[in-house]
Amino acid sequence: MLTKTLENIGAKVMGALAQAGDFAVLSGRTFRAIFKKPFDGASLLHQFNAIGVNSIPVIVLTSLAVSAVFAVQLAFGFRQFQAEGMASGVEGLAIVRELAPVIVGLMMAGRVGSAMAAELGTMQVTEQIDALECLATDPIHYLFVPRLIAGAIMVPLLTALGIYVGFWGGRMILVGVEGQSAFVYSEGFYQLLSARDFRIAMIKGLTFGIIIALVGCWRGYRAQGGAEGVGNAPTSSVVTSSLWILVMDFFITKLLLV
Amino acid sequence: MEPVIDVVNLSKAFGPKVVLSNVNLQVQEGESLVVLGGSGTGKTVLLRNIMGLLTPDQGHVAVEGRIIHQLKREELFETRQKIGMCFQMAALFDSMSVEENVGFALTRHTTMTRAQIAERVDECLGLVGLKDTNKLRTSELSGGMKRRVGFARAIALKPKILLFDEPTTGLDPVMTDVIGRIILDLKAELGVTSITITHDLKSAFEIADRIALIFRGECIACESPDDFRKNPHPVVQQFLRGDADGPFLQDPPPPKRALARAHHKQHINI
Repeated sequence: MLTKTLENIGAKVMGALAQAGDFAVLSGRTFRAIFKKPFDGASLLHQFNAIGVNSIPVIVLTSLAVSAVFAVQLAFGFRQFQAEGMASGVEGLAIVRELAPVIVGLMMAGRVGSAMAAELGTMQVTEQIDALECLATDPIHYLFVPRLIAGAIMVPLLTALGIYVGFWGGRMILVGVEGQSAFVYSEGFYQLLSARDFRIAMIKGLTFGIIIALVGCWRGYRAQGGAEGVGNAPTSSVVTSSLWILVMDFFITKLLLV
Repeated sequence: MEPVIDVVNLSKAFGPKVVLSNVNLQVQEGESLVVLGGSGTGKTVLLRNIMGLLTPDQGHVAVEGRIIHQLKREELFETRQKIGMCFQMAALFDSMSVEENVGFALTRHTTMTRAQIAERVDECLGLVGLKDTNKLRTSELSGGMKRRVGFARAIALKPKILLFDEPTTGLDPVMTDVIGRIILDLKAELGVTSITITHDLKSAFEIADRIALIFRGECIACESPDDFRKNPHPVVQQFLRGDADGPFLQDPPPPKRALARAHHKQHINI
């Protein structure tokens, strides 16, 4: 009984290590393939559009909703201490440092990472990836690289958009509903922030973009077993990248916010 | 003369299931080899080993003298440019149009201009009898058309070797004949070396210079079509007859209805 349990634990650990190794190898191959020829500009533009432009509505809506509800909470909380003036500063701090990067990262993992996993998974089970190999085309170079580059560029840009929209979401509540001065809000929003905070937000966006693209492509590329495999790929891609986004958020904050 | 494709003692297993066991096959330049065999006997695995999509457990496959599984990735891609692979279900890129599919390798591996690529795409589509389908999406094609676009894509780079993986499976008899003729035309016009995997005996005998039969992972015959017909091996004869009774199946087949009825009647009379 004990041997069996230990065997199972051992098998699970070995399985997890094998998966981590596989992900590391594929990631390494992707970074190495970035500078390989031929450069596929059309595919890259398509990915910029799919990852970046098409995500604008969802990022605007989520950023607006989160910043607005956070402003409601802050206004209510600070009113208890007659410190309503602090609300805009804390709103700015929370949005730039945490809310915008993490919310954008999680939303993109759901919208874009899952789409990548589903697309590559379908290509895998319908032998399209084998067809690429047979046409002397490296699937890592052809499929992973444009998605990685687009993810690494577009997620930070969308994070910046999230911050901008977050500013207006907070303003809508604190100025429009709570009646604070627009000038005080605008001054207060940036009061507790420095350039470093924006830099960290962009580093987070970049890291999350890389995680989303690599995990999405990896899960799709390794899909097997027909419809069930293709169905599992997006789910596991979203769960894995969301977890890694939260874990990396902690480490980036801890390491850079000193 | 050194064979263009040399399969030497090739063995491949997936877990406990041995799919190929010690298979030896040689294909000479310009020769057309047809590989027959029941479903799940490892014919596709053989092609995937030739393409380097799978690594052999034992033995090797050499294409033009280069051992496939020992090649570096860049060298493997160089060799693959000389081989055109036609997949069982065509494996067309569904996000692309017909012309983008056919011109894919040309765009990536040649310095041809757009006009030259368009011309070559037209030429390839003409060879498979699909002129004026350039702008169609792959979802608008029938099964037979998809296979033929797959052929056109495979020949675009003017390969020396063509591999066909069950090109007629699932098609009606007329379309099966069309595909058989296209393979013959390609062979005559391009002079390629080819390996065709098929279940269709009619087109097999039309296409083949030699026919091989894979049975339970082993190659039990590899000879000219005439010799193959006369081969006394019970498995070969059963395969040619298309009869369920014989050594071909591992599990005994269900009884024929007439026999079953007779047996049932006898049982009642007793």
